[in-house]
Amino acid sequence: MGRQLTSTFHEVGQVEREQALALNLTNVSKTFGVTKALDGVSLQVRKGSIHALLGANGSGKSTLVKIIAGVESADHGSQVEAGGRTVAGHHTSPAFARETGIHVVHQDPAVFGHLSVADNLAIGRAAGYDAGLVAPIRERRVHRHTRAVLDRFGLDIDPKTPVAALGPGARAMLAIARVLQDQEQDTGGVLILDEPTASLPSAEADQLIATLQRWAAAGQAIVYVTHRLDEVTRMADTVTVLRDGAHVTTRQAAGLTEEDLVELIVGRSVAEAFPPSRPIVDAEPLLEVRGLCSGRIQDLSFDVRRGEILGIGGLLGSGRTTLLSTLFGVRQPAAGEIRLDGEPLAAGGIRAAIRRGIVMVPEDRSREAALPGLTTRENLSASRVSRYWRRGRLDHRLEAREARGSIAEFLVRVASDAQPFHTLSGGNQQKVILARWLRLTPGLILLDEPTQGVDAGARAEIYRLVRTAVDAGASAIVVSSDPEELAKMADRVLVISRGKLSAELTAPAVTAHRIVEASFGSAHPHEERERP
Amino acid sequence: MTTTDAAVAATSENAPVTAARRQHVARSLVERYGLVILFVVVFVAFASVWNYPATFRSSDNVQQVLRSQAIPAILALASILPLVCGQFDLTVGSVAGISAITVAGAITDHHLSLALGIVLALGIGLVIGLVNGLLVAYVGVNSLIATLGVGIAVSGLVEWYAGGRSILIATTGSLAKVGSRNWFGVPSLVYFVAGFAVVFYYLLQHTPLGRYLHSIGSNATAAHLVGLDVRRLTLLAFVVSALVSAIAGVLYLGAIGSASASGGGIPLTLPALVAVFLGATTIKPGRFNVLGTLVAVYLLAFALSGLSLNGVESWVQNLVTGTGLVLAVTFSTLAAREGSP
Repeated sequence: MGRQLTSTFHEVGQVEREQALALNLTNVSKTFGVTKALDGVSLQVRKGSIHALLGANGSGKSTLVKIIAGVESADHGSQVEAGGRTVAGHHTSPAFARETGIHVVHQDPAVFGHLSVADNLAIGRAAGYDAGLVAPIRERRVHRHTRAVLDRFGLDIDPKTPVAALGPGARAMLAIARVLQDQEQDTGGVLILDEPTASLPSAEADQLIATLQRWAAAGQAIVYVTHRLDEVTRMADTVTVLRDGAHVTTRQAAGLTEEDLVELIVGRSVAEAFPPSRPIVDAEPLLEVRGLCSGRIQDLSFDVRRGEILGIGGLLGSGRTTLLSTLFGVRQPAAGEIRLDGEPLAAGGIRAAIRRGIVMVPEDRSREAALPGLTTRENLSASRVSRYWRRGRLDHRLEAREARGSIAEFLVRVASDAQPFHTLSGGNQQKVILARWLRLTPGLILLDEPTQGVDAGARAEIYRLVRTAVDAGASAIVVSSDPEELAKMADRVLVISRGKLSAELTAPAVTAHRIVEASFGSAHPHEERERP
Repeated sequence: MTTTDAAVAATSENAPVTAARRQHVARSLVERYGLVILFVVVFVAFASVWNYPATFRSSDNVQQVLRSQAIPAILALASILPLVCGQFDLTVGSVAGISAITVAGAITDHHLSLALGIVLALGIGLVIGLVNGLLVAYVGVNSLIATLGVGIAVSGLVEWYAGGRSILIATTGSLAKVGSRNWFGVPSLVYFVAGFAVVFYYLLQHTPLGRYLHSIGSNATAAHLVGLDVRRLTLLAFVVSALVSAIAGVLYLGAIGSASASGGGIPLTLPALVAVFLGATTIKPGRFNVLGTLVAVYLLAFALSGLSLNGVESWVQNLVTGTGLVLAVTFSTLAAREGSP
């Protein structure tokens, strides 16, 4: 089933052009308790190249990045070489990384939410803050510096805005700008980006990629961790794939297709990754929305038919998330009517919505869905604890049995149902959240960015799980920033622009290209950045 | 239970992995029962090898420790509920103090019946719990600040009423009998501790309410988005905490036979919190739990009793309590970091 790839592409030699290496890791292993997160991985990153680091969630990418950054130390027997210095892998430190020019932008960029954009860029490093610990901050210089950096990255943000008020897209750009700001002239180090575009709309992602390519051309070595395979085929020079903590391959990116990459990552062919979309024409509507006004949403009307997956496209900040949270009862609409099964949806908040069979998988998993200290079982049960209340006590046995059932049904990879939720990989966490709601057999499933931070293998499984639920009689609304995902997943796509309906596309006419076109149709891309 | 189960369930035929797993299981056992083991070691050490072992293990001393720690133990249990949903309640000691003074004032100063006095005390506890809960859950004030302020204000009210007086109650009254007697050779208050422990254990482990409170403490936003009424549940936790603290105050009066302005407040709150935090490092590491809290209360109490029998001055006792708490929490934090990927 797997196509033979190795004959087409040659392996990049271990010691090829040793002198041009910016980063050289040899035989890195890392053990946590009983699990081996990394097993003898070697990685060579050449100067002036973009090196994509790929792998499913839990494959060891993040651990490898942490070891390079010096925040995690490797097991004995490995070596890290950077900036002309060599250190044993169990002796890496943030100081070593800093001194050798290794810059890491993490997936959850550490930004100071209540400080302004200017302070975030300047703090600890740049102009205006350099007078001394207790000397007054030179505000004007900070401001000037900030403007310069923001302009360079094409960010149209007021330097005085608190970072907490920015959307995730702008926050991610800001975090990268913060790391890159000192590096303009010096391209000697290694820039490591952990899923920088995970929450960026495609226009901003493109802008970022263009910037990165410019940097690489100037000699910068870039390690790029991502789940967006289209970016890899477009921009990467070299690709390294990890699977289950082991090195699978390192090859040149030229000539690799997305399907090739998926096959390398998953280790098997993923034909049928997307269950086929089909237009639903004759079914009666399950949900009728008429003249809805809520937050950014202005006078929106649409139907969701029974057995249909309706995609909602549009830019970040176009009101997509507001729409879902209004349907789920998180916020009350200012005007308009929502009918489910012909009955108006009464104002009763989230509980009322759940009672009517509406469920929502929110956008920001760690902030809005995860119960981190609790077990996988408890996370699964969160939507229906009262079901286990039998004869004056919680029936833990029944709960565990049903949790194991859901774990099997939803293909969650855990050691046991008692494993703490926060130790699961992103894809498995998302499947648990999905299972939490789908086990209620809901009528209407609201999914907000259902595959954000989820690897390719788990992504395909999530698509299939949603399609299965819909085939069994539910309807779904999927909000996604990824036009490719909408095109493949949805039967019909509505594109929202600035709170209004800008296009309606029906399968098979739904294509990523047309979604992107409609998203930008009436809105200027850079006006869209605040969250609703 | 989580780490052990996960480790045991991870099946593999690999020999080195088995050894690693055995080590892992051993470590998580130590992590879970470290405090219990320490309790046994401390007790055996004082009861056999140190000076005055006979005095230490005498039933008088054991009973004295059990009795004197009953009120702190109940207050510690009371503060678990708000802590489980992620909120501090620093009023438990103050509520106990005002409750004791209310009952004493009612029956001694105003010659009201004991029942009416208890109803009054519970009513005051209810009001304080509601104020705490409304401030924290509905207004959104930081619980540390809100309950610190309320606690101090309540202490002020107690001082206003009692002044420098110590209000005595009749030693022949039923409250004094309940508070100071031994039933079947065990101090009566211990039965109350056990009763509350069972109730709280049941609430936290075996009812949807307990699960809801744990969920809120884990992630209040996520709890809201699965349909829980986060604000009302948090309010409820504060109200229950205050009511139980009020009952503890009544029992305190019964045990001591008098109430005064110096009897409650923050000095009674802090040992309760120490015990809950220490307790969260054992039995179910990382979670506030009933059994761990009781182990912590009595570990500290017996350690301090042994030290004072051996003539150690009181400043050493504070030093031991403080460093003990910091060390236990430090080890437990390090262990948690080591164990997770």
